Amino acid sequence: MTILEIVAFTLIKIVIILSLMLFTVSYLVYFERRVSAWIQNRLGPNRVGWQGILQPFADVFKLLLKEDIVPEKANKKLHAIAPIIALFVAFSTYAVIPFGPELQIFNYKIPLVVADVNIGILFVLALTSLGVYAITFAGWSSGSKYSLLGGIRSSAQMISYEISMGFSIGGVLLFAESLRPIAIVESQSGWMWNAIVQPIGFITFLVSAFAETNRLPFDLPEAEPELVGGFHTEYSSMKFAAFFLAEYANMIIAAGLIVTLYLGGWQIPYIDKLGLPSLVETLLQVGAFVFKLIAVLFFFLWIRWSLPRFRYDQLMNIGWKVMFPLSLLNIIWVAILIMIFN
Amino acid sequence: MEEVESKPVKRRTKDLNLWEKIYIPEIIKGLALTFRNIFRPKFTMEYPEVKFEPPASYRGRPVLVQEESGVERCVACGLCSRVCPALAIEVQAAETELEKERFPEKFEINMIRCIFCGFCEEVCPEEAIVMSKDYELAFFNREDALYGKDKLLVPASELEDRIKFLRQYK
Amino acid sequence: MPNIIIDAKTLEFKKGQTIIEAAQDNGIEIPHFCWHPKLSVSGNCRICLVEVEQMPKLVIACSTIASEGMVVHTKSEKVIAAQNAVMEFLLINHPLDCPICDEAGECKLQDYAYKYSLGESRFVEEKVQKDKRIKLGPNVMFDGERCISCSRCIRFCDEIAKDPELTFVQRGDHVTIRTYPGQEMDNPYSMNTIDICPVGALTSTDFRFKARVWDMSSNKSVCVGCSRGCNTDIWVRNNEILRQTTRYNEKVNSFWMCDHGRLETFKHVNAESRVHYPQIRKDGELVEVGWDEAFSEAVSHLKTFPKDQIAVVGSPFATCEDNFITAKFAKSVLSTGNLDFIRHTNPEFADDILRNEDVTPNTKGAVLSGLVPSQAGLDINGIIKAIKDQKIKALYLIEDDLVQCFPELESSIAKLELLIVHTSNYNSSTNYADIVFPASTYAEKHGTFLNGFGVLQRIRPAVATAELDRALDGMNMSRLDKFGTKFDSWAAGKKNEARPTWKILVSISKALGYKMKYNMAEEVFSDMASSIIELKGIDYDEISESGVQLKVEDNKTVNAG
Repeated sequence: MTILEIVAFTLIKIVIILSLMLFTVSYLVYFERRVSAWIQNRLGPNRVGWQGILQPFADVFKLLLKEDIVPEKANKKLHAIAPIIALFVAFSTYAVIPFGPELQIFNYKIPLVVADVNIGILFVLALTSLGVYAITFAGWSSGSKYSLLGGIRSSAQMISYEISMGFSIGGVLLFAESLRPIAIVESQSGWMWNAIVQPIGFITFLVSAFAETNRLPFDLPEAEPELVGGFHTEYSSMKFAAFFLAEYANMIIAAGLIVTLYLGGWQIPYIDKLGLPSLVETLLQVGAFVFKLIAVLFFFLWIRWSLPRFRYDQLMNIGWKVMFPLSLLNIIWVAILIMIFN
Repeated sequence: MEEVESKPVKRRTKDLNLWEKIYIPEIIKGLALTFRNIFRPKFTMEYPEVKFEPPASYRGRPVLVQEESGVERCVACGLCSRVCPALAIEVQAAETELEKERFPEKFEINMIRCIFCGFCEEVCPEEAIVMSKDYELAFFNREDALYGKDKLLVPASELEDRIKFLRQYK
Repeated sequence: MPNIIIDAKTLEFKKGQTIIEAAQDNGIEIPHFCWHPKLSVSGNCRICLVEVEQMPKLVIACSTIASEGMVVHTKSEKVIAAQNAVMEFLLINHPLDCPICDEAGECKLQDYAYKYSLGESRFVEEKVQKDKRIKLGPNVMFDGERCISCSRCIRFCDEIAKDPELTFVQRGDHVTIRTYPGQEMDNPYSMNTIDICPVGALTSTDFRFKARVWDMSSNKSVCVGCSRGCNTDIWVRNNEILRQTTRYNEKVNSFWMCDHGRLETFKHVNAESRVHYPQIRKDGELVEVGWDEAFSEAVSHLKTFPKDQIAVVGSPFATCEDNFITAKFAKSVLSTGNLDFIRHTNPEFADDILRNEDVTPNTKGAVLSGLVPSQAGLDINGIIKAIKDQKIKALYLIEDDLVQCFPELESSIAKLELLIVHTSNYNSSTNYADIVFPASTYAEKHGTFLNGFGVLQRIRPAVATAELDRALDGMNMSRLDKFGTKFDSWAAGKKNEARPTWKILVSISKALGYKMKYNMAEEVFSDMASSIIELKGIDYDEISESGVQLKVEDNKTVNAG
């Protein structure tokens, strides 16, 4: 393939992924509202369009038409930059998450990932760490005590849980012997999913992912009852929408990571034994990835509407005294496994 | 009588057994509960199409009972106005040639003030003000919320339900 | 003094007093319907039954003369049983129409039903039907069913109004009250019967159904109808006077006041003709302006006249405080001695009960406050003559209507170069005024009136104005006043932009460079008390509710009632 072709295909992939992301994020919001309603024996939004299918567009229009209010005491520049960082981080992380194996069309071999980077996992960790800045800036620059508290909580929480998250991933990397997401997916062929092989690591990663995405039961930075929305209390209109989108985009990334790292990515166990045409097989695998992603996302929502919020001290306790040792234990477990079977 | 076994309420971490301390099984129990609820029938009433038909005990907006002759029962005694904890009712009496001597020249309920407590109905010596089933009250300004006699008078035949309820329980 | 023992308390009484009087003087209440301290004893209601030791049966306290060593029980079992029986008996034929009865809330029968009745009735038969809504006279309406036949109204007409008009007709439970054939109850004191009626049988045609008593606030004031100065309560709802009732003051009016005072003296307070905001004549029309503009306009004109061309006419309708400041304003600020006021007398108005020939509340007070011409200055006749001769070019007229009193002056007044009027309502004089200041009425300010018998009495505000807040200025407040907001039609009654005359004059003096430091009427009065010999040592607290008798020399108009 020529450079030109690679650039062209990458651009096409970026456009597809980006628009799909925006679309999915807004529908994730809708999905969440419906799921929460079902769990609470309600109906949820079902007025705009058939079964409320157009609700996300109505929401976006509403947010677009809102007045953009910047507090008098705010640091205007940081206040404006914060939501941009949040959105940037959320969308760029997705570049390295593979959603299928290589696709064969007209003699072209196209990897179904925007950027097949050999340090993909590091890239993800680096960018998610950047996300802390968005929240901290937003909290500090708003000039409001609620926002500030939300920002502080958030940075402490994200830094704490990044450690157990990192160590959990360590186990995965030991198995795959690569930082390339595609390699990690390929290492989980058959039923050798990391979730099955290293269940402790799976749980610690799952919990850390909840904490990193500020989802309930770890949504202390927002904590509506105490902080009135936390770091984004003083945001309105599209700036608020940016945070909102970023939060749900982060959820999708977290779900994508979980699928990639622990649930075998796009893989369907033993599908190669069926001898299907390669295009059908690839499409089925993309479908499998999407299915797994949706299942994990549903799990995210399901958890949110089942569990209450942790107290801040409990959050820190679990992070440092439970999750961190458990993730270390996981590494040892993986090391032992490798010693025995290799 | 059957002996009821009373379990001690578990309040502190030390009261929990290992299974509960691990927490994850408990989470799964909770998740199972919420998952079951997804398939249970929904309570939502799709309001503008489906309307709630309140029972006779419902306290909607207070209305004045209008007799078949077209005259209100009210004698403008002002007891409702006196008992109203929100001071929502204003009554101005005047003299009438009818046997009841007094009638409300002006009877105004400020629906912004009204708290639907039903004291006016309870205190009324003439069964002239009763709580209707009307709950659709929305205004765009303060003036619209002032309900005068034109809006308050409702024929007695439409209020039979409530009047029967009052005679039974008041 | 002889002693009587009532409810185990040994009490002193005056010889000749009845038990009920002796008890009342010592603060013990014995219930009564027909008995009234100022009326003869009829003893027909029987609620005042008490037990007297050594007497075989209960006796009525209102007609049993107290005697030395008498032992009376007012709360014994027998008495309570008797009171309950009497209440039950009275309530047999009394309709249960309190909701439509104007008396509800201030009804003796209602109060006693709570206090002295057990609340049970054994009467299941039909109540007697009697005539309702009978107009006994122009001001009094009668409801026969509510009447408990206490005969207070009959005795009042016979004994106090000295005009026997009413009588009982029929017998037994059909007894009711009528005027004598061909007569109507039109004596000038007829409305007192409404007050003394213990039930709602007699109601005022003027006030009928206008308001429930608990919706109104009342403030203690004084009637401005004549120089008797009957003590009154002013009843207000939604900042509007709805009725004026008499208030007991033995020194002045006892329990009574005339119908004219009740009906006619307050109507101008709520009238359409009230002056709202100061007015200045521009291009021949009076135009509403702000206070400061009116003050500077007045000052700029007043400065241009030499002092012998200015005259100040005070008012016997204004308070002592107003007139004191008026006098001070004329003599010290304008340096003119042309100062007097117009006397208003009406011999036809006078009678030998309460009404006086002088139909102003404060003629004596005006004189006492210094509303007299200086030695070189002109008195009221001199001022009138000078206006006719056009020697007086500027006239300052306080709360009176010169044109109405002297219609022949109309053309001369039109020729005045400056006419400043303080008035509460537009009148014939304001037609020619260059500047009109809205003056507070007697119901909107604090002040004192000195009546024709030398009794100094206080008036208190009952109606709020723009400068007088009901809560902040200590007026009594009804529940509606307390909790109403500007969005409630029942609490948003009109507040006139008006100020008391003394306050207006203080502001003008200030603008003319003469500082007067008064913020409250009370301060003006304490200044008066220090400069006027008759008022020495008197303050508002001492005047209180019942007034103070001054030693004023000229007591010729005194007409003991």
